[in-house]
Amino acid sequence: MHRKSLLWHIFLPFLAVIVLSLVLITGYTSRSLRDFFYQQSSSDLTTRAHLMTDEMVPLLLRDDEAAIQRTCEVRGKASDTRVTVVAPDGRVIGDTREDPAGMDNHGDRPEVREALAGRVGSSERYSATLGHRRIYVAVPVRHDGSIIAALRTSHSLTSIERALAVVQQRIALGGLLLAFGAAVISFVLARRISVPLRQMKEGAERFAAGQLGTRLSMAPDSEEIGALAETFNGMAEQLQDRIRTIENQRNEQEAVLASMVESVLAIDRDEVVIGINRAATELLGIEPAMAEGRTLQEVVRNPDLIALGKGVLGGGGPVEGEIVLRRDGERHLQVHATGLQGLEGQRLGALLVLNDVTRIRRLESLRRDFVANVSHELRTPITSIKGFVETLQNDPPADPDVARRFLTIVNRQADRLQAIIDDLLSLSRLEQEGGSAELAREATPVRPLLQDAVDISTARATDDVPTVRLECVDDLEVMVNAPLLEQALVNLLDNALKYSGTATEIVVAAHAEPDLIVVSVRDDGRGIAPTHLPRIFERFYRVDKARSRNMGGTGLGLAIVKHIAQAHGGEASVSSTLGEGTTFTITLPRRPDVDRAMDA
Amino acid sequence: MHPHLNHAFKRLKKSLFTLSAAVEENLHLAVKAVLEGEPGLVDQIRARDLEIDLMEVDFEEECLKVLALHQPVAIDLRFMVAVLKINNDLERIGDLAVSIAEHAPHLTGKDPVDTARKLPRMAEKAQSMLRKSLDAIVGMDADLAREVLATDDEVDADYYETSQELKALMRKDSSQVDELLGMMLVCKHVERIADLATNIAEDAIYMADGEIVRHGRYHASGER
Repeated sequence: MHRKSLLWHIFLPFLAVIVLSLVLITGYTSRSLRDFFYQQSSSDLTTRAHLMTDEMVPLLLRDDEAAIQRTCEVRGKASDTRVTVVAPDGRVIGDTREDPAGMDNHGDRPEVREALAGRVGSSERYSATLGHRRIYVAVPVRHDGSIIAALRTSHSLTSIERALAVVQQRIALGGLLLAFGAAVISFVLARRISVPLRQMKEGAERFAAGQLGTRLSMAPDSEEIGALAETFNGMAEQLQDRIRTIENQRNEQEAVLASMVESVLAIDRDEVVIGINRAATELLGIEPAMAEGRTLQEVVRNPDLIALGKGVLGGGGPVEGEIVLRRDGERHLQVHATGLQGLEGQRLGALLVLNDVTRIRRLESLRRDFVANVSHELRTPITSIKGFVETLQNDPPADPDVARRFLTIVNRQADRLQAIIDDLLSLSRLEQEGGSAELAREATPVRPLLQDAVDISTARATDDVPTVRLECVDDLEVMVNAPLLEQALVNLLDNALKYSGTATEIVVAAHAEPDLIVVSVRDDGRGIAPTHLPRIFERFYRVDKARSRNMGGTGLGLAIVKHIAQAHGGEASVSSTLGEGTTFTITLPRRPDVDRAMDA
Repeated sequence: MHPHLNHAFKRLKKSLFTLSAAVEENLHLAVKAVLEGEPGLVDQIRARDLEIDLMEVDFEEECLKVLALHQPVAIDLRFMVAVLKINNDLERIGDLAVSIAEHAPHLTGKDPVDTARKLPRMAEKAQSMLRKSLDAIVGMDADLAREVLATDDEVDADYYETSQELKALMRKDSSQVDELLGMMLVCKHVERIADLATNIAEDAIYMADGEIVRHGRYHASGER
């Protein structure tokens, strides 16, 4: 529907009232004026007729028709009146304008009939003879009580009508002026109402657009509109308050969700992701903007998680499960999936809470492996010892050389057992001392320490030894427990000598960095495959199971290195490229007191 | 788009990505079986491959139903054609993953990975290509798909180099031919998987841009 402006709503009724009253007033006035004019004319005509009767009587009695005609012409022309004399039988005897002989019988004219009946008759009609409206008045002409003729006077109405038209024109003109005035007034009125209303509308639109901080300017001259504006402002304020409250609540909830360590993922019944927190996007490695509105299948693409989500959506209680995520390394996630319920208890979707349990699982498997490995490592020499001892007991070999060989083997296996137990003990001691506070430290020059370690390990090695090079400045000192660090270095060197295979050169290096002392053992041997690197410091972890045991290793060397580094507050790390060699690095923190000792 | 068709597409997408999730998982496990020598994985992979085969058949039937029922045109038809082909490629990748895993027991304990030093990198690349091409479908991201096409050349080069090395080793020491051949096949399968991932990426470009980039048209268009 097309809506008209308020101006039209006010102006049109105004105009209608003005026009209607104008029409009524004009009609009434012209009618009254007309009546007044008629009365005036007819009484005037009556007077003129009476004046002429006396003059006509002798002429009528003489029956002098020519004289009557002349009198009619003369008098009529003098008074601008048409005078007609009609005989009682209706025949026209004299007329101002026409020849009476050519005129038809006037006995049927209403005014004439009245006059012949003895009364004054008047009538107003269109004159066929003259071609315009006229007013007629007829009076009887009496002689001795009998009516001898009727004398009729008539006058044109044209002048009256012209005068009336002028009056009507003036009234219309006035009316037009009035209408214009009314338009101006109604325009002003409408503006005074509509301008504040429009302002209010604009204000309301601003509110609707969310600019609730703005206020409507008051319209003080109208109580109703002013009150309306106040109500609007009040409403805006309330809305703003409420929206602020809701926003705050939402922000709080989002903050809670975002700062949760657990990853939370919500899906609707069609498995479309409807909410995801920051932890979850980081854990799953997805863009938050990418996730929402897409299905779980698209976002996560893990068969077990998809199955879990489906399970919960398919009804049934909360589901718990563990999944393995294989994006950039394996991650074990514990998943709790529960149904999302709406206010009326209807199922809206499912909530998946994911916990990264990779560390826990790894520790568990470490412990499990450790126990299995310890048993295995201890059992191997014991089985061997037991076997040879039983042989010696039950079936002593005749050849003493054979018996001696057996005993040598038993001795070697016992040594191995001892080595393992020694290593385990030193490991457990390191673990207990763990916190570096209890560790006895002293400022130790690094180069001699490295040299000692090299001497010990090369002395032990039996095969042809690759060249071992030392790279270290003479005055480097470090705050350490010297025997422990030496043991760590010996372990690393032993490893390099035993397992690097094709190595031709081993470099033992130490240098100082601003906060650290970095000690490294580098070989150019066969290298270690990347899959082994993350686990190489684990207890009993062996890159090549068969070979390393044959070489007499306990499987604990690198674990001890790591623990020694950690006991000093440092770290042990490894980097290797297949075919190019391996570098083990120990970084030790440089204490402030060490720095001072060096300065001195 | 007609709401019914829209709904059908959503369902198809869900099924496709359920399938792809299973394939990705199997590929990961197969690579793990070879590189880390976990022999127990093979049975698990075989079992999941059966599911994959069933899913593939179901998906194809679903597609045919949608085609018959809604008779999609223009971009919708393009989508249908692309997902049908991707479905096929995914199933092939699943089969190749099983083949890779089946070689694992014969390779473990013989340090086979050392003989094919590039295998871990190739496998990682192939897996990331598959992931990226699927990501490209999720995000309708033609640029990401083009990245995959570029990576395929690297994998091909790696495969060529590794096969040369393996051949040289075979000539030198014929006692290890079995393991080396197995290794060669594993590398070949990985290279095939990279090719199939490339196909999927090409379909992703087709889906997003409507441009066919197969058979080197991509190179000819000079966009690289």
